[in-house]
Amino acid sequence: MSQPTRRAVLTAAAVLAAPTIPRAQPASVKLGILQPVTGALAQDGDLGRLGAQLAIEEVNAGGGIPGLGGAKLEMVFGDARSTPDAGTQEVERMQSEGVCAIVGGFASPICLAASQAAARYGLPYVVDVGVSDSIVTRGLANTFRFAPGFGKVASVALDNLATLNDAAGKPAKTVVLVHEDGLFGSGLAKLMQAELPKRGFEILDTVAHPTPARDMGNIALRIRSLAPDLILPSDYYAEFVLLARTLQQQRIRPKGIYGVLNGAASNYRFVKEFPTLAEGLLDCNHWADPRNPKTQALRQAVEARGKSFAYNVMLNYSCVLLVADALSRAGSADRARLTEALAGSSFSGHIMPYGPTRFVGGQNEGASPVNTQVQGGDIKVIFPAAFADAKPVFPAA
Amino acid sequence: MRGWPILAVLAALAAVPAVTSDNIALNFMVGALIVALAAQGWNLLGGFGGQLSFGHAAFYGTGAYVTALLQQHGVNAWAGAALGVAAGALVGAVIGFLSFRAGLRGSYFALVTLAFAEVLRILANAAPFTGGAAGLLVRLDVRAANFQFASRVTFFYVALGCVAAALLLTWSIGRSRFGAQLAAVRENEEAARALGIDAFATKLRAITLSAAITAAAGVLYVQYYLYIDAGLAYGTGVSVAALLAPVIGGVGTVLGPVVGAVALEGLGHLTRLVAGPVPGVDQVLFGLMLVAAIAFVPGGLVGRRA
Repeated sequence: MSQPTRRAVLTAAAVLAAPTIPRAQPASVKLGILQPVTGALAQDGDLGRLGAQLAIEEVNAGGGIPGLGGAKLEMVFGDARSTPDAGTQEVERMQSEGVCAIVGGFASPICLAASQAAARYGLPYVVDVGVSDSIVTRGLANTFRFAPGFGKVASVALDNLATLNDAAGKPAKTVVLVHEDGLFGSGLAKLMQAELPKRGFEILDTVAHPTPARDMGNIALRIRSLAPDLILPSDYYAEFVLLARTLQQQRIRPKGIYGVLNGAASNYRFVKEFPTLAEGLLDCNHWADPRNPKTQALRQAVEARGKSFAYNVMLNYSCVLLVADALSRAGSADRARLTEALAGSSFSGHIMPYGPTRFVGGQNEGASPVNTQVQGGDIKVIFPAAFADAKPVFPAA
Repeated sequence: MRGWPILAVLAALAAVPAVTSDNIALNFMVGALIVALAAQGWNLLGGFGGQLSFGHAAFYGTGAYVTALLQQHGVNAWAGAALGVAAGALVGAVIGFLSFRAGLRGSYFALVTLAFAEVLRILANAAPFTGGAAGLLVRLDVRAANFQFASRVTFFYVALGCVAAALLLTWSIGRSRFGAQLAAVRENEEAARALGIDAFATKLRAITLSAAITAAAGVLYVQYYLYIDAGLAYGTGVSVAALLAPVIGGVGTVLGPVVGAVALEGLGHLTRLVAGPVPGVDQVLFGLMLVAAIAFVPGGLVGRRA
């Protein structure tokens, strides 16, 4: 601990160099970006990194951080390798490289472990996705979550499902829940099992499957025999694609497939690769405000790189801008001041439909998911009306 | 085996914080020591006793879960840790009792241990009291009384202390009557029985001790990362790590698991550094080196015991 850190050495070097280069560029500010780009979550991590990178490029192209004399942001990337221990190891490395804050994590276990490791150093940690609500209920002063957690997503999803069904004259009465058996799938299934009957839906069955799963044949047969009006899948990308393909092969056509935080239903890769399967899919998920011109600009930048405009891109892009704004207001890369600036943030220059940021106990209170539907080969927002760029099509034709 | 190589390895490890106060290095060493401890547990049963287990995650996970759960119910962390080790040992005794009494050996025993670990993983993933798939968090409250330390150096020495204790235990077992009985059972169970050795009791004792050591590794894991879920605790990755280190270091040797774990973890870390930005390349390199190690040093880095 007593040995000088690289940051201290750099600062000292900068101080020494200052008199000789009087009008030097302000030193760049290092920002840690933690994403799993190896292992099971690599696809998500790659997109998250892209979002962060585009935001950093945008900040730097726009003259850097105003409150720091135009200092540029510099990305220190860490591969969380889809496990919490590897995420922790990367936090240590970022700490030694002198980052001012860390953004990312993606999966809840990585976010839980990495934010705790960062808390030891008073290092601000902004969670990009991690939906587990225990992330923000641990009382860690350094941890902020910009996006909504589980509880919020589930309640909005259920409200919107009821609204959608009521508006169409209540065509759907019975549902089957299909979920992956990890944190996200089983957590959601539990909430929905408790809440759906209160909203007038009858749950015919709840089917869990592991991730990865290689075959959905039995699940599809079970669904066919139950013939529900609605299927509510909470799966990661590959498993949902498999489920959707199996349903199509078995000619199972419910009145609607309504995903909650579904890995594929709001994913352009799925829409592009399986256009007929994707058409009409409903999802309640993180999504940017389509009416914000910055959203369209970001989408073009992402697609120009041949990548998919996924929510990971949108959230990481927004989270980096949030940190850049806090840095500017703090007027320093000092961790305590940055943490304070984040806690008091009312940033609204992001692209999510959240309004101005307001953190209470680390959770952004304005954060809320939206409902999307695949229509005509594009992903459209159908709820809430204030941000919608399409009308819902329900029940499926 | 003489005692001095053990002391030399321990002294070299103990000197690490004197050489570097870099937290990356210390964090890496703590990770390697946790794997080494789990591997030492495996080696006692698999190396000395010849009972190859594919399911040491069952003990590791039990140690971790019991420690975390007890702390959630207000039990002191150190007491929780001790009970975690005891619970791991108990699980070992139960699995050993059931499978050895049924006369399972070789690959049948290996498959049964794998099955036990998988059953525990699925139960931990489903049961509400283990937090289900959300796992369990240990509250971050950095105090020595809570088995949490502000400095990584302290935790490093705690982990090293556990590894040292396990080294001494295996070393003394190797020289004891029990060690000789274990070796006899490993080489030829029928012949051992003919000499009047109670093979069942010997194996049961070995699996209980082995489970306790591996459970201690799980305890260290949860106290270090303060988070556990079913995959991290009972996943097959844990079982593989626990058996890979002795295989690389030297099955049935006192130092094999420690040398193997440090070498493997170090190799993994180094390949990550040299592999650069291409994700996954380090794993390819790592796999190639493993193949090379098994092809050219089949007896392990510290050599097979005569």
